Amino acid sequence: MALYSQPPMSYTQEPTTAPVEHRFNPYSDNGGSILAIAGKDFSVIAGDTRQSEGYSIQTRYARKVWQLNDKAVLATNGFAADGTNFVKRVKQRLEWYEHAHHKPMGLKSIARMIQTMLYGKRFFPYYVYNILGGIEEDGTGAVYSFDPVGSYEREACRGAGAAQSLIQPFLDNQIYFKNQQPEAGSEKFVPGNLPLSTVLSLVVDSFTSATERHIEVGDGLEIYVVMQKGRSADDLLDEKKLAPGLKVEELGALGEGEGERTFLVRQSLKRD
Amino acid sequence: MFLTRSEYDRGVNTFSPEGRLFQVEYAMEAIKLGSTTVGITTPEGVILAVEKRVQSPLIESSSIEKIMEVDSHIGTAMSGLTADARTMVEHARVTSQMHNFTYDEKIGVESCTQAVCDLALRFGESVEDDDALMSRPFGVALLIAGIDEKGPQLYHTDPSGTFVRYDAKAIGSGSDAAQQSLQDAFHKQMTLVEAHSLALKVLKEVMEEKLDENNVQLAQVTPAKGFEILGETELKAVIETLAA
Repeated sequence: MALYSQPPMSYTQEPTTAPVEHRFNPYSDNGGSILAIAGKDFSVIAGDTRQSEGYSIQTRYARKVWQLNDKAVLATNGFAADGTNFVKRVKQRLEWYEHAHHKPMGLKSIARMIQTMLYGKRFFPYYVYNILGGIEEDGTGAVYSFDPVGSYEREACRGAGAAQSLIQPFLDNQIYFKNQQPEAGSEKFVPGNLPLSTVLSLVVDSFTSATERHIEVGDGLEIYVVMQKGRSADDLLDEKKLAPGLKVEELGALGEGEGERTFLVRQSLKRD
Repeated sequence: MFLTRSEYDRGVNTFSPEGRLFQVEYAMEAIKLGSTTVGITTPEGVILAVEKRVQSPLIESSSIEKIMEVDSHIGTAMSGLTADARTMVEHARVTSQMHNFTYDEKIGVESCTQAVCDLALRFGESVEDDDALMSRPFGVALLIAGIDEKGPQLYHTDPSGTFVRYDAKAIGSGSDAAQQSLQDAFHKQMTLVEAHSLALKVLKEVMEEKLDENNVQLAQVTPAKGFEILGETELKAVIETLAA
C-alpha cells in the first residue's frame, strides 16, 4: 500500500521551477558627479575622481573631465567605460575635422557634433551624461549640457551625476539667483557674471557638500578653468587669493595656441 | 597627334607609358568647347559671369542654367558638359547641408571644393558591388565662388580632380583671351561694381554674338546677402555702363 501513499506526480502540479532567464546587462552606473559653470570670459568644468560600483570603490582616481582642445573641456558621467570610449571617439573626430578643414573645431560645433554622435546610437545609447564647457567663438564662457541620446542646451551652469539632486538646487540658487530677491533699490541679478574666485568657491563647496551626503562622491576634485584670450590669470595664480588646499597647474596649448588658456585646479576630497 | 595615342586612350584607368591618363585629358578638351565663364574675387565679394549660347531665336534663354547655388554662401558657374555638373553640384549641396547639420556652421569654401574634387576621380569600370559608378571622367570645369571666415574666395576645379584658388579666372572656349584680359585689368582693390563691368567686358570681347541681357548671366556672393543671381534690371544696368 505504501506504493500509493503518495499520488503519482502526474496527478499533482507540474514541476514548479520556472525557467530562469540569464541576461547580460551591458550597462553599469559608476557614480560620481560633474558640474560646469560659465563666466563672462571663462568657463569652469569640474568632476570628482571616485569611481564605484554598488558599495565598492573601483578606484579613487578615475578621470571624468577631459581637455579636448584649447577652448573646450568635456566632462562625462554615468557608465565609465562608455564615457572613456565616447571621449576617445570625440577626440578622433576633432582630429579628422582639423585635417579636413584646417582649423580647430569651435565650441558650438563640438556641441552639435556630440549631439549627432549620441543620437547616432539612439537605440543602444552611450549611458553617459555629458557637460561641455569652454570659450565660444565670440570669447564668452559657455556650458552645454546633454542627455544620453543627444538632447542639448546652452546654459550658465549645470550639475550632473549621482549628486545632481544635491548640486543643481544649490547652483540654481547661487548662479541663477532663484528664490533670491534683490535688495530694494539695488540692481537686478544677472546670471553668468560672477567673478572666477566666487565660482571656484561655489564649485568647491558643491563637491565638499556632495561628498558629505553622497556615498558615491569623494576622493579627489579636478577643476578645469578655460580662459578667454588676453584675460589676466592673476586671480587664479595668486596663491594668497586662492583657498588653501587648491593646487593650480597650467596646461599647455594643445593646438596652434590661439591665446585661450586652460588651467587644472586640484583638491582632495574626503575618502570615507 | 591622336595616332600616337591609339592603345592607351581606351581604358579610363590605364596610364600611357609616358604616365598620362588620356581620357582625363580628353575630358579637359571638352571644357574648351564650352561657353566662356568668368569669376573675379574682390574684397567686397566674388562675382561669376557666364555666356549663354542661344543657338536659336526659338530658345527660351532663361531655361539655360549655368550658374547654380550650392549653399547660401557658395555659388558655382560651369563650362563644358553642363549635364555632368548637375551630379557635382548635387554632391556639393548635400555635403554643405550635412556639414551644417553636423557642425552647426557653414562649410568652408575650400572644404566644399575639396568635396567636389573627391567626386571627380571616382570613375572607371564598375565592380559588381559598387552601384552607379561614373563610367568616364566628368567633362566639366567649375568655378566655385563663396565667402567664409577666410573672406571671399574663388576656386577652379577640372576633371582631373585638382583645384586651385584664383583672384580671377576664365574657363571655356574663350578662356585664353579672357584670362589675358583679366590679368591685364585685375587689381586687388577692385570694387564689386568694377568687377561686374570687367567680367562683362571680358565676355563681350570673346563672344561672337552681341552681348545683351539674354545671352549672359551674372551672379555674386557678398557678405551681406550671400549668393544671388542678378535680375534682369540689375544686369541691364551693368550692360549700360559697358556701352558708355
